[in-house]
Amino acid sequence: MSNSVPEIEDTKLVFVFGYNAADSHPIVARRIVRAKEKGAKIITVDPRRTEAARISDLWLPITNGSNMALVNAFAHVLIEEDLYDKDYVARYTEGFDAYWDIVKTYSPEKTYKTHGVEPELVRKAMRMYAAAPDAFILYGMGVTQFGQAVDVVKGLSGLALLTGNFGRPNVGIGPVRGQNNVQGTCDVGVLPNIFPGYQPVTDPKVREKFAKAWNVPSLPDKVGYMLTAIPHLVHEGKLKAFYIFGEDPAQTDPDLGGVREALQNLELVIVQDIFMNKTALFADVILPATAWGEHDGVYSSCDRGFQRMRKAVEPKGDVKPDWEIFSLMATAMGYPMQYNNTKEIWDEMRELSPLYLGATYEKMEQQGGVQWPCPEPDHPGTPYLYKGNKFDTPSGKGLLFAAEWRPPLERTDADYPLVLSTVREVGHYSCRTMTGNCPTLKTLADEPGYIQINSVDAAKYGIANEALLWISSRRGRVLTRAQITDRANPGHVYMTYQWWIGACNELTLEHVDPISKTPEYKYCAVKVEAIPDQLRAERYLHEEYAKLKHKLSSPVK
Amino acid sequence: MEKSTLTVCPYCGAGCHINLVTENGKIVRAEGAPGRTNESQLCLKGMYGWEYLNDTKALSPRLKKPLIRNSRQDDFREASWDEAIKFASSRLMAIKEKYGPDAIMATGSARGPGNEANYVMQKLVRAVIGTNNIDHCARI
Ligand code: SF4
Repeated sequence: MSNSVPEIEDTKLVFVFGYNAADSHPIVARRIVRAKEKGAKIITVDPRRTEAARISDLWLPITNGSNMALVNAFAHVLIEEDLYDKDYVARYTEGFDAYWDIVKTYSPEKTYKTHGVEPELVRKAMRMYAAAPDAFILYGMGVTQFGQAVDVVKGLSGLALLTGNFGRPNVGIGPVRGQNNVQGTCDVGVLPNIFPGYQPVTDPKVREKFAKAWNVPSLPDKVGYMLTAIPHLVHEGKLKAFYIFGEDPAQTDPDLGGVREALQNLELVIVQDIFMNKTALFADVILPATAWGEHDGVYSSCDRGFQRMRKAVEPKGDVKPDWEIFSLMATAMGYPMQYNNTKEIWDEMRELSPLYLGATYEKMEQQGGVQWPCPEPDHPGTPYLYKGNKFDTPSGKGLLFAAEWRPPLERTDADYPLVLSTVREVGHYSCRTMTGNCPTLKTLADEPGYIQINSVDAAKYGIANEALLWISSRRGRVLTRAQITDRANPGHVYMTYQWWIGACNELTLEHVDPISKTPEYKYCAVKVEAIPDQLRAERYLHEEYAKLKHKLSSPVK
Repeated sequence: MEKSTLTVCPYCGAGCHINLVTENGKIVRAEGAPGRTNESQLCLKGMYGWEYLNDTKALSPRLKKPLIRNSRQDDFREASWDEAIKFASSRLMAIKEKYGPDAIMATGSARGPGNEANYVMQKLVRAVIGTNNIDHCARI
């Protein structure tokens, strides 16, 4: 996020794009409601009539899979109607001519067929956005989980640049991320191309600095593999061992059939986790770790805030903190490693990362948290980025960027006439081993989970509300339960991905954005089939669930 | 006697501050604390998300001992930490020897473990194994 969560409520316009705050981040949703109470306008772009759409001044029901076309149409209107901030664009941005070259062909009228939003509504939205003294764009997985994702994110930044909505409080653009510590995992270099503090592995000076600090002669200079490439890499014989730390790819990754095959064919699978999960069923070694509440450390909030989490209870069982397990592994592999606590680790990283140098445990303690950049010991941290409109580009100017729209990979056809999009549900979290083990949250919804389907489609396929049904794609078939709702648009169905029996990733496909490699969870072709004998289907569901639960619990005494 | 520990909710990037209230070493409830982003508010997940720490077995059991097996056809068996670390590290080294470091891939965890654990993981992968093959689940 360029700016901070609390600033959302003081902006004059919240522009929500492909982000269902009410289900993903209720506390962020509350800020949006408060902004409205304070008089802010709200514009929402979403195919579904989400909570945000419901309270919006304008709701733009976009056709699934057309984000780039609509964002380009927005830019087109801002420029064509002379709504943009010419002075700001001249002083602080670059690339305007190339940008206009692309977006000039995307008039709302011409692109209507692609994105399905009434041209007048597109124009109205941009007039409103440009007129707001401060505007804050929030986007979510409705943007990032498409084959064309990074382009759209840059496109949204372009809208903020055109209107001068950067470099001060209450403006900017914010991805609101899924899992709690995605920001932190990026911050500390768990990416194939960067060391901690966003320092590239391809920079010889950076490598030299880390090699010296870590006391090794040299460090690898080649950018590593991305996770989504694993099935291919295993298939080609390039990858032999996989050390899986606190994730469950056999539940959360797309095209689960492909993932299972890859796990099976690896020579070594090490799983380090807190609960038994579907991935661990493929492991050779399972290393049990302490959980949240049982260990200390730092998380990064979605707005770059380092905050301390603390141990509240003693762990049960013969388990160890993750960092201690890694130290034991390193030592056993001939590299003696020893830390006494997380503060020692944090200080080592801080001193190697100019962006975080001043973000000490003490400062987090005093201030409740520290937002990076925090480059010096007496620096308080940075609530919003790009102060003075200086951007992270070589020239310091913000780059106006547009790309041509690319349609989603898979098309619907006579066999698979519906589009499936995976979404989030309030109460459950990712692969569910944590929330699924919380009785209060578990009662909110249980297996096999729901499929949201419009009443028109439900009638067409003879599906009753709450009935079990089969949903299948070219990759697999799962059982799920119908929730008939006109919040879903006709021709499109929505499933959450945390269910074990109703595992929608049996259906999704492994088509990824060329830059981010994020899978296209939001678009694949499916069909639904009603089940005449509901009693038998219910029985089948119970048996399968019991079998799976047994399979997961039998390795653990 | 009740004790209260200030921490951060692990369920989403809003990063709400929570007081975990414990009694006799067990969590009894969570309370919203005045964090920058949440100002003492919590959603359902923050309120009740701690329950799994009491190993409810509602869904799947907590892992309590290292588990190993010599072949995927075998059942898992419990092992001591010494044995499990030896087992995992020697196999990793054998693969590195035979195919090179780039035949090994690791993940970080964007969930409960925290930034320090992830830092140490990427250090292990880069400095000890010798590859940049490290990535995490939720991209972007
Ligand atoms: S309490 Fe709810 S909104 Fe706050 S961090 Fe936890 S899951 Fe997110």
